[in-house]
Amino acid sequence: MKRNKFGQSEMVGFVLIVVIVVVAAMIFLVISLRKDSGEILKSVDVENLISAVMEYTTGCAIVYEPNYESVEDLIVSCADNEICSNLDLPACDYLNETLDNLMSGLVLTESQISAYQVDVFEKEGEEKLIPTVSSGGCRGGVSKAQKLIPTSNSDIVFMIILCKSDV
Amino acid sequence: MVAKRAQFQIQQMAFMIVAVVIFFVLVGMFFLVYQSRNLQGNYEQLQKDEAISSLSVLANIPELSCGSLCLDLDKVEVMANKDYSDFWALGSVKVYQVYPESSSIVKCPAPNCNYWEVYDSGQKNIKEYSTFVSVCRKKSEQGSVYDQCEIGKLVLGVEE
Repeated sequence: MKRNKFGQSEMVGFVLIVVIVVVAAMIFLVISLRKDSGEILKSVDVENLISAVMEYTTGCAIVYEPNYESVEDLIVSCADNEICSNLDLPACDYLNETLDNLMSGLVLTESQISAYQVDVFEKEGEEKLIPTVSSGGCRGGVSKAQKLIPTSNSDIVFMIILCKSDV
Repeated sequence: MVAKRAQFQIQQMAFMIVAVVIFFVLVGMFFLVYQSRNLQGNYEQLQKDEAISSLSVLANIPELSCGSLCLDLDKVEVMANKDYSDFWALGSVKVYQVYPESSSIVKCPAPNCNYWEVYDSGQKNIKEYSTFVSVCRKKSEQGSVYDQCEIGKLVLGVEE
């Protein structure tokens, strides 16, 4: 009887050790997996891409040719519901088309970029000025950057998220 | 008999303690390897960010710049066409136009060129870092002059 009890207490001790080890391993796994999958890094490279995209000269002239709008000016014109007088197109439609062409062109030259997403939205209310421009399937690390564009009505956020194989 | 049983129990406990210690050492080693790999990744990312920040400094020098992260292609052409090897303490400085995209890379000076080799020291062990910049040049249309800016890449080579 005494021997049986002794065996039982040893088993309970062993089971306790196993349970503690399994729980510790689970906690470690959950923390490391969460860190790997959800994290979006703020990237200097994407910040520089945003600066370059903002300066890009579009084919839209709101007032007269050749006073062409840069992407940044075009975003402000889109927020003000202006029209490209030389193309007879709403600024927002042309902005959407320009960003789509620009980002798909960049993906062609940059083999590291597997997917992208561009959002232009109002800071307050987060109402989108144009539909999200995106393409590709994400492989590798995700990095993002954003720029705040002040306008007369409300500030606008321009955000690029890139999936890059080398991040 | 009792002494033998006690000895056996002590032996059993010793084995158990050794097994537990070995197990925790293995887990600790696994954890350390994982952490050091993370640390290495973070270090490489920081190094890359630092290199890109240096690129921003280079893009803003008056000899090339037309604004923040903006390269004046007229200045770039002048720098590319003359030997300024004393000026650059670097392995190489190259500028590519990446958008509007071209089917091939054409070195300047040439018609429809999209690549400027500003400087090449000829060194072989060079590690290249690049960042996006806007590349602008003055254009004239209907009697008015304006800046036509496109998207480019500034590539900097440093000796490894």
